[in-house]
Formats: sequence, C-alpha cells, structure tokens
Amino acid sequence: MTDETNPFGELVEEYVLECLPLAEQVADAFVAVERCWREGEDASALLTAIAGPLHTIKGNSAMMGLAAMRDTAHALEDACGVLRHDAESPDPAAGALLAAGGSLLVELVRRARDNPEADEALEFVERVRQWLARGASPALETQPERRRTERRGTASSAGQADDRSASVVRVDFRRLDAMLEILGEGLIQQAALTESVRGLTRRIGPADQVSRLDQAVVALEKTLKRLESTLMETRLLPLSTVVSRFPRLVRDTAEAEGKRVRLLLSGGETPLDKAVLDRLSEPVLHLLTNAIVHGIESPGERRAVGKSDEGTVRLTAAPEAGRVVIRVSDDGRGLDEQAIRRKGESLGRDGRSESGLALRDLIFLPGLSTAPQVSALAGRGVGLDVVAGAIHALGGTIDVETAPGAGTSFTLSLPVTLAIVRSLIVEVDQERYALPLAHVAETVRAEPEAIRQINHRGVAAWRGGLIHVADGGDVLETRQARPAGRRFYVVMAAAGRRRGLLVDRLVGHQDVVVKSLDPELGRPVLVSGTTILGDGRVACILDAVRLLEGGRRAG
Amino acid sequence: MRRTFLVIDDSKLHHQMYRLIFSRGTLAGSTVYLAANGREGYGLLAAHPELSMVFLDLNMPEMNGLELLERRRAEALHLHIPIVLVTTEATAADEARGRAAGAWEYLRKPFQPADIERLVERAVAGSATAG
Amino acid sequence: MPGESPPSGLLDFAAAVAAAATEEAGSAPVPERHLLTFMLEREEFGIPITQVREVIRVPELTRVPQAPAHVRGVANLRGRILAVVELRARLGLAAAEVSPRSRIVVVDIRGRVLGLLVDAVSQVTKVPETAVAPPPEEVRTAEADYVTAVVRWQSRMIILLDLEKALAPTESPSSQVDR
Repeated sequence: MTDETNPFGELVEEYVLECLPLAEQVADAFVAVERCWREGEDASALLTAIAGPLHTIKGNSAMMGLAAMRDTAHALEDACGVLRHDAESPDPAAGALLAAGGSLLVELVRRARDNPEADEALEFVERVRQWLARGASPALETQPERRRTERRGTASSAGQADDRSASVVRVDFRRLDAMLEILGEGLIQQAALTESVRGLTRRIGPADQVSRLDQAVVALEKTLKRLESTLMETRLLPLSTVVSRFPRLVRDTAEAEGKRVRLLLSGGETPLDKAVLDRLSEPVLHLLTNAIVHGIESPGERRAVGKSDEGTVRLTAAPEAGRVVIRVSDDGRGLDEQAIRRKGESLGRDGRSESGLALRDLIFLPGLSTAPQVSALAGRGVGLDVVAGAIHALGGTIDVETAPGAGTSFTLSLPVTLAIVRSLIVEVDQERYALPLAHVAETVRAEPEAIRQINHRGVAAWRGGLIHVADGGDVLETRQARPAGRRFYVVMAAAGRRRGLLVDRLVGHQDVVVKSLDPELGRPVLVSGTTILGDGRVACILDAVRLLEGGRRAG
Repeated sequence: MRRTFLVIDDSKLHHQMYRLIFSRGTLAGSTVYLAANGREGYGLLAAHPELSMVFLDLNMPEMNGLELLERRRAEALHLHIPIVLVTTEATAADEARGRAAGAWEYLRKPFQPADIERLVERAVAGSATAG
Repeated sequence: MPGESPPSGLLDFAAAVAAAATEEAGSAPVPERHLLTFMLEREEFGIPITQVREVIRVPELTRVPQAPAHVRGVANLRGRILAVVELRARLGLAAAEVSPRSRIVVVDIRGRVLGLLVDAVSQVTKVPETAVAPPPEEVRTAEADYVTAVVRWQSRMIILLDLEKALAPTESPSSQVDR
C-alpha cells in the first residue's frame, strides 16, 4: 500500500507510468556500462546519459514518499557521480554494483503500488556506501570540488550529483603512486634536514635557536609520518578484489582434471596495498592450481582412502603482526617427501652438502620443480621456484607443511605495503645498505672473542643457541685486503632461519622509499631495490630472505 | 480570488501533483498552465502576463530553469511575475545563481501542498504591498 | 674579405662566421649531424645529441652487489636512481679511475635512461654529412658492431656509436623472471 499520509498517494499509477520506463532505461544502460568496462571501453557517455532519468526517479520517488526507490536512485547517482570521473578503468566491483542497482530499481518501481519494504534498498545503499568509502581519504577531499567547477555548465545535473559525492572521490592509482613518490622525496629531504640539524647541534651545542630548529624538524617528521600512513591506507584494497575471480578458475581447473573440488575463501576483506595485490594474484593462483592438479586426488582415489569425493581447497588470509598471512591448503594426498629428496639428491642438493636442508628448501629449488618426472612422482611442485621467486620479490616468505595422505599447506607472509620499508642502515666497506627491520632480530656488538671459527665459519652464541655469523664484505663481495673493523653484527631472521651479518657501522633507522631496480643492473639476488638516504646517497636494500639463504644466485 | 499559475516541469507526474495541489484547499479553482520544458514554458509565460506565479523546475531538457530565468531577465519579460525555482538538491552557489537570475524563491523537493500554499500567500502579500 | 691575404686564424674566423650565417639563414647547404663527443682512452667518440639528456659531474656512486661487471654503480639524479655504466668496459677498454675531467653522459635510448661514465666530454659538434664515412673494415668486427661510422673532420677523427648496440643488455646469469 502507498503511504496514506502522502498527499500524492493517489498518483502512484502515474508514478509507475513515468518512472518504470526511466528505471528500465537506467538498468539497461548499467548493463551496457558493465560490458563496456569488461571490454576496456569508456563508459562516460552512458553514465552521463542516465544522469537525467536517475535524477527524475529520485525526485519523483521523494515526492511520492517512496523511500526505497529514492534511496536506491540516490545511491546510484552517487556511484555514477564518482565513476564519471573514472569511466575508463574502474575496479571490477563497480560494474557489478551498478548492474545490481539497476535491476533493483526496476523491481522497486514496478512494485510501487505496494510501497515495497526498504530492506533490499537499505542493503544496496550500504553496499554503495562501503564501495565509495573504500577509495575515500580526507586528504583527497578537495579533488571533487575542483572538478565540479570545471564541469559546471556542461551538464546541469552532474553538478548536483557531484555535490553529494563530494566527500568521496575515485582516484587513478597512478596518481597515488605519484603522490607516494613525492612523499618519498619529502621523507628524504626531511632525513637530510634532520642530519644537518644534528651536525649543527654537535658544532655549536644546544643553543636555543638550534633546539627550536630541532623541534621543528621533529614536528615535520611526525607530520610526514601521518601523511604517509594516510596515504598508505588510501592505497589499501581488500584481497577480495583479486580473489573474486578464483572460484571460477578453480571450477574450470577441477573440471578439466576430472576432480571435485570445493574452494573455501576467508579473509577476503584483508587489506593489502594495491601494488602487493597486483603481484600476488599469479603466485596464489599458481598454488591453487597446484593444489587441484597435484594435491587433490580423483574421486575414486579419495573414496578408496575413506575421504569424501569432493576435495577441499582453502584460501585464507589474515593480518598478523603488521603483515598479511595467506594460506593455501588442501586435504589431498600430501607431498611425496621421498621422491622430492631423491630428486634433490640427483640435483646435488642432498642433506650432506647443505646441512639441515629441509623439504621446504628442496621444493622451492629451481631445477627440481620443472623436471616432469618429479611432478609425476612427487605429484607436486610445478614451478614452485617461480612462486617463491615472486613472493620473495614482494619481500615475503613462503613455507610449506605437508602430511602424507592428509594434505599440504603453503603459508605466505607478505608485507601489507611495498613502497616504504622501515630499515636499519648499516655500513660495510664504506658502502651503505638498508636492511628491512622486519627481518632484523637484533644488533649485537661484535666482541672479538664472541665469534668463534668453526669449520671456517663464524659462529656466535645467540639467545641460547648458536648462529652462523657471516662477514658482510664476503657476502656483498666488497671485502678488501684489510677489512675495516667489523664492530657489530646484525642478526637477521626470516622463515625460521637466523644468521648474523658482520658490519662496520650501524648508521640508524630510516623509513626508506623503495625504488625498483634498473633493469640495467641485472638481477642481483641479494638486492631487492634501491633507496635514497638522508645524505642523498643511494643505498641498496638487501633482501633478507636471500641473505639468509646464503645469497647465491638462483638458477 | 481566482489565480493563474504556470508549472514548467518535464515530469508528467509532477504536472499531476500540481493539478492536485491547485484543485484543493485554499488554491481550489485556480487555473494551471502546464509546460513540459523551458522553451514551451517561456512561450506560455510570454503569452500570459496575468500569471500569479510560476513554478519552474531547475533540471529540464531543451531549456533548463536557469536558462529560462536568464533569458527572461535579459528580455525583461514580465518581471513582475514571481518565479519559484524548484530543485531536488541545489548547492548554495546554485541558489545564489538562481536568485541572481531573478528567481523569487526556492522550493526543494520533496515538498508538500502546504509549502505551495505558503509560497502563494507570501507572493500575494508581497504584490499587495508592492502595488 | 678581399684584399691582401689575411692570417690563417682570421680565415678560420671568417669561415666560422660564414657558417654561423648560413645556419641562421636556416638552410645549410650540406646536411649536418649534431653530435656530443667524448673521450675514452685517447679516442674521441660521438653520439647523436638527440640521445643526450644532460652531462653531469660524477656524483657519489653506490656499488650494487652482484650487478653486471660493466655497471659502475647507481647514483642519485635528483631523486631518480640512475644506473651508471662503464662505457669503457662495454667497448673493451680497461676501467679507469674517476678524474676531475670525468663526466657522466645521461642518455635516453628509447626511454631507457642511463648514465655513461666517460673520461671527458668535448663539446657539441656539428659535422657535415659529407665527413661521415663507414667505419674501416678492421673496426667492423662482429663484436664491435656498435661502431656505425667514422667522421674525419677538421683533423679530428670521431667514432660514431650506436648506443643501442653498445648497451645491449647482457644475458643475466639467472634467466628467471621475477614478477
């Protein structure tokens, strides 16, 4: 029933007559918009064309006291207002969102006589709100204002629609990258400033003006930090943006393999920097495919060992201690450890030549994985070295656990963001290096008697155990005839390994902005990137995981 | 007293709503002219200097509300007739621009019949004191 | 300048003025090549000026562990990381110490921005196309295919380099592709 108190209640037929064709026009356009985006085409003309009809539906619904239609139209208007600025490359969720809203609107208008309950509309409005909020950042709020004035006059209704979405704006990700780059420069300049203020303090002592300068620099540092964390938050997207396509791919793979597989996803809301997400999709998909092809048994095999016909592959994600842990596990047959070890031996990587080489070391070896007889024998491992390489390049670690007959589980630990890395700056043979703090367990003063030579390897006691302490100059190939005093060692820890690295100086902690390696530099395994330090010098960022592996070139 | 109104709105539904409003209560018996766009509305405005009031929608195809107001001011057409600009939402800037272009008052949707009645009363009182 | 024969320096000057005049007229009778020339060992090399972004003094260079041998290091070029290549190494010459005359020629080869460490930079030289000749046979070996031509002009010999060939990326020991 229409709202009795509404003075225009008796006009509901006229309302449907006027609004249903408009709603249908809107819904059709949204389907076209979605197709446009799928095919990489610009949908701005379509979005502009529906602004009028949508506006009329909203106004009419408001007059009629039909809240569900009014709110749905309103939410769609907000979404369109934002998307008009980004009509070429919105995220995949946008098309589906609009299409869903279009058909909802048609449904609601069609049922206007019964003044339909607003539940679905509320749900949809909330969906839109969340989608809009995802790209929002207070720092960016000035953006739509400028655009709005630019656009004023070109479309009279656009001005109004934009008004409502003024608190939310969608930004081309490249612009966020550029902002990060600029922020990085700001951080470098601030570090330089801090350094010179310190020099000044040393030279002329704690004079009043110097300490004021010092305070100002400290305040500047804090401000930049806040800007950084805001920007980093802005760059975060939920993992679901990349995993949403996985169920279909898993279904297709399972079908091709003649297997029955159920994919369970959890933790899709876990936020990750888009730069990480972009590079994560392929390795994770690789692990999922491996689980289906090699892990999960055929229905017949499963029945024979008392398992259900349908295998389960789980993809879980959760934030953990400032990082994101992603797990891909299956309830399949597990890894054939014997076969992997045999193959490892044939590659000259047996337990004797490399002490304590565990299964996880073998399975990620390059030669091991690509050999076809191995995948047939071990049932696992196609291209796992590639997966490990991709994860390492992200500053992550990968580990594997397996139980024969019960399944295999790969655990990835990844940084939430890529671009800025808290680092310990050290000096070895006059060169400076950045060591990611995430992998620095401790720094220790290297007393001469503390490090003993066992089998030509330096060994030191550390936290109740013994760790290998390597010379930084040896590892980094800078060792001179008479190395400078190695006064400290840094205990690095990653993926359950620990190792000390002897260095000459500990320069300090710094948030370094990662600059990617120039292709001209080849593929130095130990170096994950470069950065510019406070004094303007360039330092290499060392890859802790590779460092712990011994730093040998792969392949 | 019989009054004459012009409604310029591209929505047929709104035409019906205005009809309802002008056929009831204190406004019962009024004459209403209906136009579906600004161009049509401007023609009716020119043809009816006796209009008590105009209700003009802001967003319309052909000629929108602001364009109509601007043209009317430029041509100094029947400046004595109060025009109410009707919008769903408008920024303060839109409102200022509307007033600058000669809108007498602003009316936001959704509105009630009572809102129209009040505006008509005010317009009548205003013209009474003015003339 | 008619009259008695002027000293040769004046003749050169007159020729230069004349050359400048024709240039300004915008119609050089002979097409010219604009080259940036630089010294390596005792040889003068030239590259098209269009490939040169700028020439800078040698900044502090940071060594990159495990980088290819011809990479001298990386430098901070106004916030950009610039890979600096020892051009000598690529041309089969012995590595040299950095001297006060050493410079880095920042080149842009189809979007690849690199620094070339050279012993000294001469200047921007305009040479007439007629002075450009193919390299002598003995220079054009398979390895030295980066020498495209030799310019003999005003008692100078400039070896023209094809940087794309001279700086062709060497196969890295690891052919794995990290993504």
